[in-house]
Amino acid sequence: MPTFHLDDTPIEFEPGENILPAALRAGIEIPHYCYHPGLQVTAQCRQCLVEVTDMGNGHGIPKLQTSCSTPIADGMKVSATSEKAVWGQTVVNEFLLVNHPLDCPICDQAGECDLQNFAFKYGSGQSEMDYEKRVYGWREVGSFIVLERNRCIQCSRCERFSRDIVGSHDFGSFLRSHELTFDTFEDAQITHKFQGNLSDICPVGCIMNRDWRFKKRAWMLNKTRTVCPTCSTGCNVTIEHHDNRVFRIKPRENPEVNRWWMCDEGRLNYTYLNNRRDRILEPLARVKGELRSARWEAIYQAIGHRLQEIGAQGGQVLGLVDTHATNEELYLMRQLLREGFGSEALHFPYRLGAQQEQPPRPLADPFIFTLITTDKSPNTAGALKAGLIGDSDDKRLKAALKAPPKVAFVMGTPFVDDDGVRQAVAKAELIVHIGTFRSAWMELADVVLPGYTYAEKWGTFVNKADRVQRIQPAIKPPEDAEDPLRILASLLELLGNEQSHAAAREVFDAMGQQAGPFQGLSWDAVGELGTPLIGNGAPQASA
Amino acid sequence: MAEEKLLVLKNIRDPGYAGDLAAYRKTGGYTALKKVLQAMKPEEVVEAVKASGLRGRGGAGFSCGMKWGFMPPPGDKPHYLVCNADESEPGTFKDHLLMVGDPHMFVEGMIIGCFAMHSRHSYIYIRGESMYAIRRVQAAIDELYRNHLLGKNILGSGYDLDLTVHPGAGAYICGEETAMLDSLEGKRGLPRFKPPFPAQSGFDACPTTVNNVETLANVPFIINEGTEAFAALGTPNNTGTQAVCISGHLERPGVYEVEMGHNLESLIYEYAGGIRGGKLLKAVVPGGASADVLRADEIDIPYDFDSLTNAGTMRGSAAVMVFDEDTDMVEVAERTIRFFNHESCGQCTPCREGTFWIKNMIRQFLDDAGDEALMQRVDRAAGNIIGTTICAFGDAVGGPMQAFVRKFPEEFRKHFAS
Ligand SMILES: Cc1cc2nc3c(=O)[nH]c(=O)nc-3n(C[C@H](O)[C@H](O)[C@H](O)COP(=O)(O)O)c2cc1C
Ligand code: SF4
Ligand code: SF4
Ligand code: SF4
Ligand code: FES
Repeated sequence: MPTFHLDDTPIEFEPGENILPAALRAGIEIPHYCYHPGLQVTAQCRQCLVEVTDMGNGHGIPKLQTSCSTPIADGMKVSATSEKAVWGQTVVNEFLLVNHPLDCPICDQAGECDLQNFAFKYGSGQSEMDYEKRVYGWREVGSFIVLERNRCIQCSRCERFSRDIVGSHDFGSFLRSHELTFDTFEDAQITHKFQGNLSDICPVGCIMNRDWRFKKRAWMLNKTRTVCPTCSTGCNVTIEHHDNRVFRIKPRENPEVNRWWMCDEGRLNYTYLNNRRDRILEPLARVKGELRSARWEAIYQAIGHRLQEIGAQGGQVLGLVDTHATNEELYLMRQLLREGFGSEALHFPYRLGAQQEQPPRPLADPFIFTLITTDKSPNTAGALKAGLIGDSDDKRLKAALKAPPKVAFVMGTPFVDDDGVRQAVAKAELIVHIGTFRSAWMELADVVLPGYTYAEKWGTFVNKADRVQRIQPAIKPPEDAEDPLRILASLLELLGNEQSHAAAREVFDAMGQQAGPFQGLSWDAVGELGTPLIGNGAPQASA
Repeated sequence: MAEEKLLVLKNIRDPGYAGDLAAYRKTGGYTALKKVLQAMKPEEVVEAVKASGLRGRGGAGFSCGMKWGFMPPPGDKPHYLVCNADESEPGTFKDHLLMVGDPHMFVEGMIIGCFAMHSRHSYIYIRGESMYAIRRVQAAIDELYRNHLLGKNILGSGYDLDLTVHPGAGAYICGEETAMLDSLEGKRGLPRFKPPFPAQSGFDACPTTVNNVETLANVPFIINEGTEAFAALGTPNNTGTQAVCISGHLERPGVYEVEMGHNLESLIYEYAGGIRGGKLLKAVVPGGASADVLRADEIDIPYDFDSLTNAGTMRGSAAVMVFDEDTDMVEVAERTIRFFNHESCGQCTPCREGTFWIKNMIRQFLDDAGDEALMQRVDRAAGNIIGTTICAFGDAVGGPMQAFVRKFPEEFRKHFAS
């Protein structure tokens, strides 16, 4: 590969690549605002100025060049730290503050604001502007975002996103010179489903996430890298939380899955994580028709007794899971049925997803519209690959239910809206429910075991494109809840099955060593960006 | 009155000249086009223009022949020549005169240019406010279509060309060639960063050359009279004549055509009749508002591209603005920066914010609240716009603002806080 030098660092580059992306790839920061890897280059903020001391032919370029727009040539020598380059970056920074309100103390972007960071690094700390600044009011411009135009640095990322990525053309530039402003036409509201990305790409506090506004200082947030469970795409995200409360969800770059984007539905789908009111907080056992809190040991003992009483071994034992369960949970649930009861009757609601949104007009790259699918769960492909029983009309489940089960294990809320299924299952002598929030299943269950949400546990999902991706815990679960993997392992132990691996990593690595969809993979190989499945999804052999 | 050297204004100076096709033909009009279509290859035309030394009259003074030579050989994409008739540089009014007085001359040059650059359809982008020029040029184009000098098979040569007149919407920045191309495409006129240059990717991402009206008006002469006849005018590196727009506190402001290299002082005193009311000269802005101001003692220089560059300023669009002894140069600076602040397209941070900031600082002087530090700050802020922007507008505002405070510090000191 051809190479160029950025200050003292030799960097390999792809022919046609510009300086700034190559530098960022090599981990070297050159300050920049208008450049965004997902958007057309406009080279307008001028923040990324560098000095080209040698174009690769022994000659330098006398004028500073914007690194975002300057193609690299073999043997090129570039400096982002020469006196001249730093002069350029410093004066641009100073000009940016001419009309900026500097209201960081009340700006939500503070702490994660490029302008603030660069000004801190390059600024003189003094303002020589004692004139009236350009002033606009703030207002809500969409269901998701708030516009505070005083803070705008006119980088036009929002306009390019609206025009080229979502094709909505509803956010653009007005006026010119220092009055240049970005806004919607005639105060219209933005209605598309990707508004939150506007607040992500806005490098300052001009376009703000309305939901997050005034809630938390950004620097207090802890960030956990995980995957959105709101649809079968599984956009890579970070959960941002503090003091065991989730404050927002942001997309995490993954070129193979969601690039830099996510949808607003996924972004807003966190409030339930903070919900304790409807959460199942402790194990419950039905005593004289009523659910009462119980200790875990007592619960397991009781389940053991009941199973003996019923003589479940050999009888009809049914497992129902939804597609929010991780692959590891599905695997242990499968083992529980097989090893404990010799049953293969593990059913899931199989709902094939399709693209939900269409671009408003033809787009050169309609990628973002492929994100939202109609399957609002993260692991349908995982359940399918694992060979669980499912069809779009639940025909096979309904057939199985003609003979009422003796015991039913219900994890999550599968088929919860289907009265017929619920009534049939209700005939079982023992219903064990592993769940996180109150549901109709809880009302039917004899034993209720409080599990973890996706934000509290480790695990993997397989997305619509057969890519396996990891989730990891962001916040602490309620004190008396238990990791579903641990619950399933305990139930297996109860049935005399020695269970050694209850951690997701171990379960996954074990799956990786068997024939089946995960064969050849390991937890570490999946990594934080996921990996395509190698195995072709033959049902797993029992361990 | 001093004698002009007439080339592009030759017909216009004839009081009976009507400017229509018949009149133009009577003066030998469209013989150059005929010669080109019948006897020349496109490359030969490019070579001739190169050899003539013709430099662009729109502002930068770049070799016209070289620019035409940058156009790629004909390929699958159409080629365009866009005539820059936006003429918005303060103090400039020569293109207007050429378009209204003798529209066929530059259009003939343009058709020749289109032939040389393999264009089948090209545009004349005229400043929207110049309604009269738009009508005159459109009428000339209509005449050409009627007489088979445009459209299919021009003069039986097999060469087809369409020309379209496109009115601008009144933004100074649309005179900058790449902003003009955006505007022509129906977008907001925003200068593009380079590379790519228009010859690689211009209008509709196709190979494009942009030329000023006056530049093109010289082309028929070069073809008819020969490159040597043209190169014999002016000085070796600044050939031909130039239509100079002289305005301000003068007895006879107007457009005067002189050879390149003609003395600037002579232009002001002999052609434009000297300072109005016998007053003394204070300052000259020699090449449009984008050019650095000269003091009265700096004007005894040849008026051409290289000489003005050597004098630390530029010939620009040949707009000479003359200020007498009563002028407050701070007011001139304020009017200049107000214009630039108003016209900045706003893309680049230094230009967008710098013009606003400097305007405020200059106004502080007009409020008699200046001081030495403020003068230095104007100088520094202006210097920081130079070389840090997408288009030459940044340099064109930074340089002049620095020049005002550097060359006329005493004028600013009169506005210090007492
Ligand atoms: C801010 C700005 C404004 C300009 N305005 C004009 C104009 O009004 N007319 C013009 O001919 N050239 C103008 N130019 C120069 C053009 O960009 C371009 O160089 C010129 O039209 C090329 O033609 P020429 O080579 O024939 O001179 C302007 C340049 C800048 C940077
Ligand atoms: S609103 Fe934000 S993204 Fe849009 S131009 Fe302003 S700073 Fe840039
Ligand atoms: S597209 Fe799907 S996975 Fe992505 S953010 Fe939206 S709901 Fe989440
Ligand atoms: S220098 Fe000024 S006019 Fe030119 S592109 Fe930048 S902001 Fe626009
Ligand atoms: S990031 Fe390069 S000019 Fe804005």
